[in-house]
Parts: sequence; structure tokens; C-alpha cells
Amino acid sequence: MITVDRVSKTRSRTRILHDVTFEARPGRVTGFLGPNGAGKTSTLRILLGLDRPESGAALICGRPYRKLDRPLTTIGALLDGSGAHRARTARAHLRWVAASNGLPDSRADEVLEIVGLTGDARKRAGRFSLGMSRRLGLATALLGDPEVLVLDEPVNGLDPVGIRWMREFLRNSAAQGRTVLLSSHLMSELAEIADDVIVIDKGRIVARGSLAEVTGDHRTLEDAFFALTATEAVRPW
Amino acid sequence: MNVARAELRKLLTLPSLRLTALLTWAATLLLAYAYAYADRDAPLGDAALAPLGYTQAGFLVLGVLAAASEYEEGGQIHTTLLAMPRRLPLHVVKALTLGAVTLPVAAVTAATSTLPAGGATWTPAATAYLTLTTLLAAAVAGVVRRAVPAAILLLGLYFIVGPLLRARPGGIAAYLPDTAALDPPRGAAATVAWTAAALALAALTFHRRDA
Amino acid sequence: MVSRVRAELRKLLGLPTAWVGLVLGTLTAPAIVLLNAPYTRRAIAAGTLTDTSDLGLRDLGVGLIGPMVLGVIAVSSEYTSTSQHAPGARQLTATLTAVPDRLRLLVAKTAALVLVVAAQAAVAATATLGLTQVLHGDHVPAPAPARVAGAILYWTLTALLAYAITLITRNGIVPLTLLVINSTVVSVSYLLTKITDLASYLPDIVGAQMFIRDADFPVEIAPLTAGLVMTAWVAVLLAIGAVLFQRRDA
Repeated sequence: MITVDRVSKTRSRTRILHDVTFEARPGRVTGFLGPNGAGKTSTLRILLGLDRPESGAALICGRPYRKLDRPLTTIGALLDGSGAHRARTARAHLRWVAASNGLPDSRADEVLEIVGLTGDARKRAGRFSLGMSRRLGLATALLGDPEVLVLDEPVNGLDPVGIRWMREFLRNSAAQGRTVLLSSHLMSELAEIADDVIVIDKGRIVARGSLAEVTGDHRTLEDAFFALTATEAVRPW
Repeated sequence: MNVARAELRKLLTLPSLRLTALLTWAATLLLAYAYAYADRDAPLGDAALAPLGYTQAGFLVLGVLAAASEYEEGGQIHTTLLAMPRRLPLHVVKALTLGAVTLPVAAVTAATSTLPAGGATWTPAATAYLTLTTLLAAAVAGVVRRAVPAAILLLGLYFIVGPLLRARPGGIAAYLPDTAALDPPRGAAATVAWTAAALALAALTFHRRDA
Repeated sequence: MVSRVRAELRKLLGLPTAWVGLVLGTLTAPAIVLLNAPYTRRAIAAGTLTDTSDLGLRDLGVGLIGPMVLGVIAVSSEYTSTSQHAPGARQLTATLTAVPDRLRLLVAKTAALVLVVAAQAAVAATATLGLTQVLHGDHVPAPAPARVAGAILYWTLTALLAYAITLITRNGIVPLTLLVINSTVVSVSYLLTKITDLASYLPDIVGAQMFIRDADFPVEIAPLTAGLVMTAWVAVLLAIGAVLFQRRDA
């Protein structure tokens, strides 16, 4: 369960988030949709305790990220890049992360297997392709077998096989009762996996609800998106 | 405890740190040999500590690399903060583990410099000095967040500004962080104070700043 | 060729760290002359300075951090990642796409560095020596043009030395550390001259003989020979760097 409650943030005197409020519920894939620079990543970074909100709160299972004990067992996150230092091998990277949350070393090999990187365990992260870096990032997110998954543009850099694999993986995770929140600017991709959709534009939430609700009378989610983000004056609430 | 284990693993699996430690020790050995030779005709200072005056640069680099590695490409700092979101305890543990990893390297390097010149009594002080210098460098690099600019800043202060200030008459030398390298009784307090101040500043920025 | 050099100049001068090198290198030496003026006056009065013609030229040495930083950063900036989130994304990729001929690229890069550092050295030397004349003109002879030229050449060659070593190591920290600790008052090279006379031919020691007379150099080398020996060092290291740069994968 993710609760974002009236989060605002100003960066270099520009307000980048205005009272952002939404929820992501267990057992559902929630898509976080918006054009480049709309505030998706900023919102996720605040949710993950990397940045501080100016006001408001972002909670994971009722607690702010920085108050979580062994956070990786509650929430796994995939941000840009692999999150690994280029000189370290994939296994060495996963092992220090495992140690930080008191997880056994064997988890490193287990998650490498899940993302299909077993053969590259001894390779240095700097030698990974973009797609492999994303898989390593996902492996890191899965270490603690968390009940909440937060992914920023998860299909970026993945090949068609990887995209299909990711889609099925996220659907299965939700089916098992996990909370899945993913940001994307790819609407057709999102329309295929999301149960709920949140649309953000210029730092404000402009629509939220189930996929059907947000799509409304429009033919596709994409049409709805353009209708929502082009006309600022007309808001759904 | 988990945090300490994770930070220890991070430091021990970074190849550049091993290489820096090895090169620093080798350079100290070479200089200790050079001083042993040179001293026969013209004394150039205390041969027990003088080589460390140069090779403390290796410890500065060690601290810089350890801290800046978090902020390099790949975005490891995100992983670190997602796994260990409590920043102040994390910062304290980081300093302690870096100190623990540096201490043996500092001890071996200090002994390499002091023992051949018959200055064994200086070994503990020199070991402590080199370890603190590493922590100070790590704190500075943690604020600067990039390795090359941090190295320029520290090397410039230690090897250009420091000697220039010291060459001037007046008591300023005792307040510089590196006076203890050549004159331990005089500069020890300054080294400790500078290191503590740098660590405090780094902790504050680490705590306040967006990652 | 001109456009390539201009592109490299833009790249170099667009780096914040390069400006640190420019400012440090240009201002340190004049600042030292100013700060040390009272002590220098006393030393002249007491007659402890043996050769006053060295005075301003000697002070120039502290500014060498500028050329060192510039030489290192010209190469290392190509190898650092352009984005924190894209491992392997280096400026070098873009550079080589624009100028695929690596030898031409190096020539342009070297030319840009030489232009910047020579200009910096000329400004720093003029300021330092001019200040020395203003402050101590009664006691210090006007510096011989040949020696000033030697000092400017020394700065340029030092930058090229840093540049060549960085081409070989592909890492900025190693050459920076080596060169900066070797530019301290009692340099490592100087220490080595106490062990073997051969150390007098190390680039920094031999190069200084282009423009400094009164120092306890164990082997006296004529300024012209000194310049040639230092140039040879730089040429050899640059050649090695160029060959490696040609052969290695970007």
C-alpha cells in the first residue's frame, strides 16, 4: 500500500509538485503516467526517501521510507541505471545490498536467476548493456522479496523479449497480492498492464482511477491522456 | 551491524582502493629507501616521517575514492539510500568502516617509513594521523561528490597552500590539518579538529541534501 | 583543422574544473609575490638571496598546478561518464563520432591545450615578473626575455606531460597525485637527485634549468639542452599515449 498525501516540492524556485495525492493498492498494478518533466520521477524519489518533500507525506504501508526497518523486505525500487558501481561484479553488488538488510548471500544468486543474469554474475556492472543494467537493477529491487514494487520507466532499454517478460512479471506480482507502482510515458504499454492509472501534468495530478475510468469516453488511454494534459482549464474534479 | 557489514563489503570489493593502498605503500618503501641514502650527506628533515609527508597523498586519494565512488555513474548512492535510509547512522558507520579498513594499511605504511629510520616510537602517531587524513578526505569528497575536483582541492591544500603558509613566519602552521605529518606533537590537535569538523559538515550535508 | 581546434578549445573551456585550473594557475604566483613582499625585502636587505635575478621566476613555480589540472582534465573529461545513470556513456563516444580520425583529434586537442596553457603562462609570467619589478625593482634586474620564454615553455611542457600521462592511464587521479606531490618544495625528483645524478634528467628537474640558475642542481645543464631533454620526455610520453589512444577501444 502506497499513500501519497498532498506532496509539494520546489526546486530552484520553481514549484515542481503541487499537492500531489494518490494511492496504489495491493493486488493491483498502478500506472503513473505523464509527459517528460511532469514530476513522475520527483514524486517517486520523495516516496523513496531520496528527496525531501516541502510539505505533505509519502507513506509506504503507513510509514515514511526513512522510518522503515530493513526497507528492502517491504519495498523494492527500480530507478534509472543499475544502481551498481561499475567496478563491482553483479554478485558482489547484490551481496553488499543483501548484507545491508540482513538477507542471506544466497539471495543474490536467487534474484540473478529470476532476472536471467546467472551467467553474468561475475561480470563487472560497467560492462553491462543497458538492458542488462535494468535487469540488475530489478534484481536489486527483488532481493528482500518485498510486498511493494516501485519502478521508474521499467521497460526503458529492454528488448521486445524483455518487455514481455517484465509485463508478465509485474502482472504476476500483483496477482500474488503485491502493490505495484510503475511510471511510464509509454501509454500503449501502460494500457496493457495497469489496473489503475494516475495522470500527472506540470506537477499536478490531473486524473486518477481505474483504467476504464481514466480512459472514459475516449477511444484509447492515449486519447484520454492528450485530452487531459492539453487542456489545463478542464479538470475532472 | 548489517549496515557495517554492507559498508565493509563495499569497501573491500572496490578494486581502485586496493590498488591505491598498494601503490601508496610501494611509494613509501621507495622514499624510505631514498631518504636512507640521501641522509648520508645532506639531512632533508626527519627521515622517519618525511616519506609519509609525500605518501599521505595516497591516503587522501583513498578517502576521496571511497566517498566519491557512491556518486559515480550507475547511481550507486540510490541503492545505498534505498537499502539504508537512515542517513546519520549510515554516515557514522561509513566513517567507522573506512577507518577500520584504513587502519591496517596506515599501520603498515607508517611502519615502512618509521622503522628503517629508527623512529619506531612515531609509528602509532603516524598510523593515527594517516587514518584521520583518510577520513578527512572522505568527508570532503562526500560534500564535493566528485573524485577529480575533490582530489584537486585536497592535494592543492596539502601540497601547495600548506607548504606556502608554513614557509611564512608566524604560528599558523600549528592550525593546519597536516602539520602533524612532520611534527606530530605540534599538529595533532589540529588534525583531530579538522577531521571532526569535516565529518560533521559532511554528515550535515548528507542528511539535508537531496540524493 | 581550425574548426577542430576551435571545437576542442570550446570543450576544454566549457569545463568548470578547467576554470579552476585557469584561475589557480594564473593568480597563485602573483598572489605569493604580493604576500611575500615584506619577507623578500628583508631577505634582500640582509643579503641572504644569492641570485636576485631568479626571484620572480622562482615564484612562478607555485602556479604550475594550473597547467597540471588543465592537462589532466583535457583527457580525463572524455573518459568520465556524461550521465550518472548511463554507465559507459562517455563524452569520448560523441567526440569520436564527430572526429573519427583519432590522430587528427589528438593533434587538435594538443593544439588547444598548448594555446590555452601558453596564454595562461604568458599572463601569469607577466603578472608575476611585473609585480616583482614594481615591488623590488631597485634590487632585481629585469628578467632576460630568453628566461621568460623558457618559463612559459616549462609551463606548456608540464601541461603536456600531465596530458600524456593521463592519455596513458585514462584516469585523472593518478597523474594529478603524482604531479602535485612532485611540485612541492622538496620534490620527489629533487630527493632522487641526492641518490643518483641521473635523476637530474627527470623532466621537472631538467626543465627548471631552462630559466632558473641558482639552485643546487647536482648536474649543471645549459638552458637549451635542458629544454631539449624535457621536450624529448614529453614527446616520448605523448607518442606512447597516442599509440595507445589509436589502438584502444574507446
